[in-house]
Amino acid sequence: MDAAGHGREEDHVNRCTVTTGFFVLGRCGRQAAASCGQCGRPVCAEHAAPSGVCPECLAAQGYGSQDPHDPAWARGRRRHYYQSSSHAYQDAAWYSSFDQYDRGAFNPGDDYAQGGDWGSDDDTGFVDS
Amino acid sequence: MFWRKQKAAIQRFHPLHRALTLEKGFTVSLRRDDWEPVIQSLARHTTEIRRRKWRLDERVPGALVPMLRILASDMPPDGVLSVAADMRGAELPEKKGPEVEMPVRPPVLGMHQWYALDPWLRMRAELRDGSVLELAVTDRVRFRRRRQRGSSGKVKIKTKRKTVQLVQVTRRFAKDAAVRRPGTPPPASVRVQVKQGGRLVVRASGKFREPLVDRAIDRILQVSTEPFRWTPPGTAARRTT
Repeated sequence: MDAAGHGREEDHVNRCTVTTGFFVLGRCGRQAAASCGQCGRPVCAEHAAPSGVCPECLAAQGYGSQDPHDPAWARGRRRHYYQSSSHAYQDAAWYSSFDQYDRGAFNPGDDYAQGGDWGSDDDTGFVDS
Repeated sequence: MFWRKQKAAIQRFHPLHRALTLEKGFTVSLRRDDWEPVIQSLARHTTEIRRRKWRLDERVPGALVPMLRILASDMPPDGVLSVAADMRGAELPEKKGPEVEMPVRPPVLGMHQWYALDPWLRMRAELRDGSVLELAVTDRVRFRRRRQRGSSGKVKIKTKRKTVQLVQVTRRFAKDAAVRRPGTPPPASVRVQVKQGGRLVVRASGKFREPLVDRAIDRILQVSTEPFRWTPPGTAARRTT
């Protein structure tokens, strides 16, 4: 397949758009295995919770973990951190830039929709959708 | 044989967890994913260990584990996270500074003062945007020991301590990083130093009175915010290729 064709094929791959990281944000970018039962965003097998919702929706419902030993703790704490640090620094742009990026996953055409941290080494197991 | 079950449990811990339990500290560099078994081992501690001598310091679940989680989430799989943790306390002789005699008036017979520097947490992480983050949390403790004669002639010795917590976070940006100065200054409690060069370096320092264990992570994150405000969320990890 030529390069252009390969590019078109990758465009059709349904990737997980869950926000990753704490200070340095990115998108998960793994192949999606399901979609969130609440917001409908594509979610990979690792980020799909047994309840069927994505981590952001789970945290928004107040089910974020309070135990730092839990792998999901940092993800649940992220939005609270950006809110409190934006207040402490009196920097509204700090929170709004995070909020824009985090919500960007829900707007496929948005500039913030991509910005993933996936690279060429992540494209294992992709199939045509 | 006393504490047989708990001794056996300690032997089953991860070696770094065991070092934190028995020696109250460790210094090690591991790849990102190699820290997960350490954290999972630490999670079992309170259920398996009850002896006071082997309890983990409150700063381990209060600051060390949260910072491991946060920094690991910002790192690539092959990134190295180095940690030097020392939970032995500020009373050790090697942390003690020179003693000075303070002027006193009766009924105080004499007073000595000295400072101890206790750098109990140092971390270095290679982040996925190519920058390197260094974190240091140091307790500076002032000790004052005074001798005082009471009305009955009995001499009492009392030692008081006062702690100031110093948090220093340094971020060395990648060579091609798109960096811009934040629009608003940091809070008065955070001091910022910027070093220009091939790779921009931003250092934020904070000083806090009366360190509270349950607020240590908030204070560390408050100081850590400043170096990351130079690259707004979402921009640093974006790839153009």
